[in-house]
Amino acid sequence: MSISEHLKRSAILGLGISMLLALVLSALLFRAEERDLGLQERQRLAVLQANALVLAVADTDAEATRKRVQEIQKLDPQIESVIIVAGAQLLASTRPEDAAPRQLRREEKPLFDLSNLIRTARETNRGEEIVRKKTIQVEEAAQGHLVVTMPYLAAGEFAGIMQMQFNLAAADVGTVADDTVSLPLLMLLLALLAGVMLRLDAGRRIDFAKLLALAVFLVIAVFYQQQRIGRLEQIEKQDNKSVAASYLATAEQFDRLGYLPLLRDPAVVNLWDTDHYQRPRGLIGADGSISVEAQTRQLGKRADFIRPILWVIDLLAVAVLLMFVYGYAARAYAAFKAHIDAYIYVAPAMIGMLVLVFFPFMYGITLSFTDTTLFNESLPFSDRLIGWDNFKAILGDFNIYQSTADGISWNYQNFYWTLMVTVIWTVTNVTVGVTVGFMLAMALNTDGLKGKAIYRVLLILPWAIPNYITALVWRGMFHPQFGVINQVLQMFGMEPVAWFDGVVSSFITGLATNGWLSFPFMMVVILGALQSIPKDMYEAAEVEGASRWQRLRYITLPLLKPTLIPAIVLSVVWTFNMFNIIFLVSGGEPAGANEILVTKAYKIAFEQYQYAYAAAYSTVIFMILLVYGFFQTRITKATESF
Amino acid sequence: MADPKTKNHIWLHLGLISFTVLALYPVLWVLALSFSGQQSVGLIDLPQDPSFLERFRAILPLPAHWSVTNFVEVWTEQQFGRWLWNSVIISLMTTLLGVFLACTAAYAFSRFRFPGRSTGMLMFLVSQMFPGTLMLIPLFIIIVKQLELGNTYLGLVIVYATTSIPFCVWMLKGYFDTIPYDIEESALIDGASRLTIFWRIILPLAKPAIAITALFSFMTAWNEFILASVFMESEANYTAPVGLRFFVGGFSSQWGYFAAGSVIVSLPVVALFLQLQQYLISGLTAGSVK
Repeated sequence: MSISEHLKRSAILGLGISMLLALVLSALLFRAEERDLGLQERQRLAVLQANALVLAVADTDAEATRKRVQEIQKLDPQIESVIIVAGAQLLASTRPEDAAPRQLRREEKPLFDLSNLIRTARETNRGEEIVRKKTIQVEEAAQGHLVVTMPYLAAGEFAGIMQMQFNLAAADVGTVADDTVSLPLLMLLLALLAGVMLRLDAGRRIDFAKLLALAVFLVIAVFYQQQRIGRLEQIEKQDNKSVAASYLATAEQFDRLGYLPLLRDPAVVNLWDTDHYQRPRGLIGADGSISVEAQTRQLGKRADFIRPILWVIDLLAVAVLLMFVYGYAARAYAAFKAHIDAYIYVAPAMIGMLVLVFFPFMYGITLSFTDTTLFNESLPFSDRLIGWDNFKAILGDFNIYQSTADGISWNYQNFYWTLMVTVIWTVTNVTVGVTVGFMLAMALNTDGLKGKAIYRVLLILPWAIPNYITALVWRGMFHPQFGVINQVLQMFGMEPVAWFDGVVSSFITGLATNGWLSFPFMMVVILGALQSIPKDMYEAAEVEGASRWQRLRYITLPLLKPTLIPAIVLSVVWTFNMFNIIFLVSGGEPAGANEILVTKAYKIAFEQYQYAYAAAYSTVIFMILLVYGFFQTRITKATESF
Repeated sequence: MADPKTKNHIWLHLGLISFTVLALYPVLWVLALSFSGQQSVGLIDLPQDPSFLERFRAILPLPAHWSVTNFVEVWTEQQFGRWLWNSVIISLMTTLLGVFLACTAAYAFSRFRFPGRSTGMLMFLVSQMFPGTLMLIPLFIIIVKQLELGNTYLGLVIVYATTSIPFCVWMLKGYFDTIPYDIEESALIDGASRLTIFWRIILPLAKPAIAITALFSFMTAWNEFILASVFMESEANYTAPVGLRFFVGGFSSQWGYFAAGSVIVSLPVVALFLQLQQYLISGLTAGSVK
């Protein structure tokens, strides 16, 4: 029996490959989790110190605050620098070159912006009485270097921000010293050994060898994964211990220096060890003791997060195993080998599409379930995950208008307002395009009209010019002071219009531009269809005594329908997504009232830097287009059967 | 005796001419502005209390003084030459890459029957439904933040090339399907390899379709504005569209430079468009007929 025969008959390939897959994927998951734990511990240590400092200077005057900040920084070599910004003032800083107190400099504007951001986050949380926005910003500048920014309180009120820079590269990050290589290697060897010994019976659907292979795989995989979960729990327990130790050391020093009293009572809530929403974790008591229940809860939470992922990994590997065991893999390989030419030709384009179209698409969908902004990009993924909150915020916000004494004031930032504007925008534009295009096509289709070709070429020009240039040109023509359109109005004694200041007038600027841009397409399409209608139909109708209107109603329109409907369907999508016109002509003025969905999503991402919210917004747009797509295919099919 | 039909046509001509003049007004306005030698958005400086005629003169698309200084200065004093160069390079590279990717894939889809063929073609079609903004943010994070390809030609080129693939593949596949298989069969019998057939027989036969595909890829890159404005942050790396907006966006209003630049950028595209419009229109309507 040849080696390849042997390979086919034994379970060695199947067990080996599926085992390798399961081991590698779980090992990657656990390694990511361990690194995440390390990062989290560093963040906890940093947040602990930051909370402690803010509490220690909460009730002191400016001079004493500066003094304490200096002293605290000297106490702990891990603290590289501390600054406190109150309004536009740099209140305290441990960096000698800063010479605090002084006004913020121009290049320090980001600090001022960050302060406003955190103030808003804090006020949102207070106002809604739901903790939704993070008030502590943590940024990992380089390996082990952390920057923590959080509210600086004076007499219980928000007074500014405190920013602390740490070097925690040398911090005692919990690890369990033992190697992670030999165990999985041993497991793999075991699986291979079992594979060699098992003889598959290709003739039977279920035989003893197949069941045994499955059992061997499951036992080994589950054993390995349980072992790694145990290791993870050990690390997490150690982390809690080192955070508690760090807390106790600092608390004792603060107690001795008279900043804050140390209450040696396990029941008192520890206010230093908080999450990024400044909620106490409840893991460590005020006396530095670790609560066993809270720790069990914490460990359980992580295990709950990991287990489903492990299930998916195991399922995947079992699928691979079954593919091999039942010979599908061999057949797939044979097919691949037979069509290798075709796959080589397709591969470049396919890889390009996967990497630059499908992967970004999935990435965008995933992003929409996080709270990623410009400021917290570097945080680990699990910290940014927030579930459906973005979608709830977009779709669940019905605060569309407010009734005030002066009447109704619309909330232009609301999703439904923008959706309404987008729908009106699409409907009016397509109507204008079709009407103008139809009238021109009818005119150009007149028998014996001279110079048809010249008209056609001249009227098609607006379509040929790049649309961003068109948009900017019209922006110039609508210029409130020197624009041509206001000159015309004044020529006839009318008042000039401040086009971009009113909701309706601003909408008209976009409509005029896009109308100008889109009628040639409709004109050309309709003209083509009109020319294909046989002349004798009209002649017959004329003989029968049909009026002009009747000929239009009963011959032209029905025969145009199969061409017109796909063209309308296409132009609805184009107009719905017409970013350039809105963005470049009116820019959504005034106050974002004329924004359409796509420009709104762009502004959320690149002017407010809320990447995740913008991704969720775009996902909603995609859903709308998808629903439209379903209707579109139904409509198109209906016209085809017509 | 007057023929009633001719009389009708006079009115029709009047209507058509006035509409054409209106429709061409923006074009004429840009042309006038580009030859005006000044930067303001108004062509004429109006006196304090202008009369009807003076206002009428102001809206006529004729510059007060004819001059080519805008065209000269946009090259010499502004970076427009550089931006145009960036656009040319990016568009040419996109065309090369896009046509290569589309030709090979379309050939496989047209000539081979292999598992995954229909799935692959469907995938290309579905990708056309993804909205630009949904792709924009991940692409920005992946290309600019992770791969650090912001401000480079390569970043824009690979994105443009892949976005133009689906349309090009479908179009080329349609054309390849019309090339009779007999030619290839006889070449196969004569001992030619698949690669030789593709290179020596199919590609030369498909020249017209490849020309259209190339044009489409070129126009995609040449006219694209959003991605370029997000990817290219430093002024030296702007493409022509981003640069043109730079002249008149925000608080700057160098309308003369903008107009001159627009004329330069539009001329080749408009010329190509008018030449090839019938192919483009048949390509667009073909989808609806099939």
